[in-house]
Amino acid sequence: MFPKPIEQRSVGSRVAYNLALPIALLLWLLPLLAIFMTSIRPASDIATGNVFGLPSSFQLLQNYGEVFAKTNALRYLINTLLIAVPTMLMSVALACLTGYALAVYRFKMALPLFFLFVAGNFVPFQILMLPVVDLSVRMEVFNTVPGLVLFHAAFQTGFCTLFMRNFIKALPFELIESARLEGVSEFKIFWYLVLPLVKPAIAALCVLIFTFIWNDFFWATVLLQEDSSLPITVGVRTLNGEFVQQWHLVSAASLLAAVPPVFMFFLMQKHFIAGLTLGATKG
Amino acid sequence: MENSQLGNHYRFATSAKQVTVAGLILLACLFLLYFVISTSMVQDLFGYSQQIHARVPTFFIRLAVAIVAIGAALYFITGFSFYKRNKIAWAPWLFLALGLGLFMVYVIIPIFQSMSYSFTKWDGLYDINGVWTGEWVGFHNYKLLLDDPNFYTSLKNNLLWLVLYMLAVPVGLFIALFLNQTVTGIRIYKSLFFFPFVISQVVVGLIFTWAYNPEFGLLSEFWSWFFCETKENIMGNLTRVCSVEPPSILGNEHSATYGIIAAGLWPQIAYCMILYLTGLNNVSPDQIEAGQLDGAKGWKMLWYVVLPQLKPATFIAVVVTVIGALRSFDMIATMTQGGPYGSTNVLAYYMYDQAVGEGVGRYGYGSAIATVLFLIMLVYISYFLWQMYQDEKEAH
Repeated sequence: MFPKPIEQRSVGSRVAYNLALPIALLLWLLPLLAIFMTSIRPASDIATGNVFGLPSSFQLLQNYGEVFAKTNALRYLINTLLIAVPTMLMSVALACLTGYALAVYRFKMALPLFFLFVAGNFVPFQILMLPVVDLSVRMEVFNTVPGLVLFHAAFQTGFCTLFMRNFIKALPFELIESARLEGVSEFKIFWYLVLPLVKPAIAALCVLIFTFIWNDFFWATVLLQEDSSLPITVGVRTLNGEFVQQWHLVSAASLLAAVPPVFMFFLMQKHFIAGLTLGATKG
Repeated sequence: MENSQLGNHYRFATSAKQVTVAGLILLACLFLLYFVISTSMVQDLFGYSQQIHARVPTFFIRLAVAIVAIGAALYFITGFSFYKRNKIAWAPWLFLALGLGLFMVYVIIPIFQSMSYSFTKWDGLYDINGVWTGEWVGFHNYKLLLDDPNFYTSLKNNLLWLVLYMLAVPVGLFIALFLNQTVTGIRIYKSLFFFPFVISQVVVGLIFTWAYNPEFGLLSEFWSWFFCETKENIMGNLTRVCSVEPPSILGNEHSATYGIIAAGLWPQIAYCMILYLTGLNNVSPDQIEAGQLDGAKGWKMLWYVVLPQLKPATFIAVVVTVIGALRSFDMIATMTQGGPYGSTNVLAYYMYDQAVGEGVGRYGYGSAIATVLFLIMLVYISYFLWQMYQDEKEAH
């Protein structure tokens, strides 16, 4: 283990380490803590420059209630769910199929196609923007939630395929081979043999894609325009314009947008990290 | 002998019933998709008055029919003897069909479409007959780019992002080293340190906009500890009097980009940290011990023994940081919208601004900017793919 475990060091450095940890954490999360404190303050505190002190009165419920009452925040949150959940299901389902095809069959195009998915996943969004807008308009899904979902699902299939293909590649190939010798049809091998084995990968991808889509801002700005179909990220930005200088409300709304992904992360931490660090230990 | 061959032949024959049934369903679906289900039909059916509200139900009906059609098509193909005879060659294409098709339509083909737009002058509209209204202008847009000072600002800022964003890699490594211990509660610390990456960049942008605010932000608070004192004015209210006014980081064209990059580093460091923590978990203890026997300690141990083993983590960290730097858009959109005076534009934001920003609809010009950004990114994508290719070759 590197660096040397702290237990093997002197008592002094052990104490120092245990003291340094919370201080470092506090500094690291200071912006987040400060914005939380701001979100439970009355407006008067902000005007007098009370940033770190206790709020002169605790207005947790009032401030967050005001955000819901004065704006479409609830609608935005529901919209985000309506965008994130179908996208997650679609792209993960598609990636199970493509990942299986690219990992199990040894055909000439397998590697070039796999690289196509990987490369597509890294392109700048702007090069896709105008043709995608044009396509959506012509398919009559521009400015609708399903239109955004369809695009997100297509785009995220790239990342999911990268993940799935590598995961399935690591499974013992003999299993599939022996099933084939038994005369099991290709689809049944996929459905009854491979799918149960890739459940951890499915879980990891679901958490990741949900968070990615929840946090998406660019595509929602480009493909949605009506206020009633906006997701929370775009909504919060709009609120920022409406609540000029009312930082207690802006911060409450921002934190509302941040809570679900954070919650998801804590709930599914293991899968989340497994997904993000894919490839970081190989070799 | 003959009997078994006959049996074999029979097993591989086309299943006439399957092909007929699936074929009929497929034809019916295609007929529905192309000739019957239109927005106006759904409008009539559900009595919608405005077209925009009829679009979503139309979409869902079409989607359902399309799914049935795809299912029928796959079933149709598996009924033929050519499929049965050569399953292993055909099956992957059936598995790929849906995902690859969607990915092609929405990601791969648009890249080339964008490139072709960049040679045109177009505002994104069609005339009433659905005919394209743009005109072909050759390299005109690229020539314009060369004379556009905003383009150079964006390019310079992109470079600045690339260079400064790289700080996330070493800083992430040091935080990972700091946290790579086994004291009680360290797991909670690790996940709390990872926090900034989980929240949306828009929220990070808003948090830092507030933190940088010269009147009541976090930085102005620190500033006032050194340069300001609170006084009571004649109205009896408390006001702040400063000997040196706090700087307005985002309001100043020289510091705004640095301010945004600093905000962007926060989540990126967290990502690099988690990559290195996973990497450190897998560093072989034998090699560390061997290094200790050779007298390696501290920095030397890190540089010669640990870092080489962290190479895969470093590779991924560099790749995601480069991609993140070139993709930076959300933060600029929330924090400055490219201002003040266009000083925080990067190619990604400038393209958006030119193509669909207020009052401008320069699709051709925007596409030219996007193409330049894409070509820059392509260098890194090629490098990444080349590395992956080497790994794949090694695996076989």
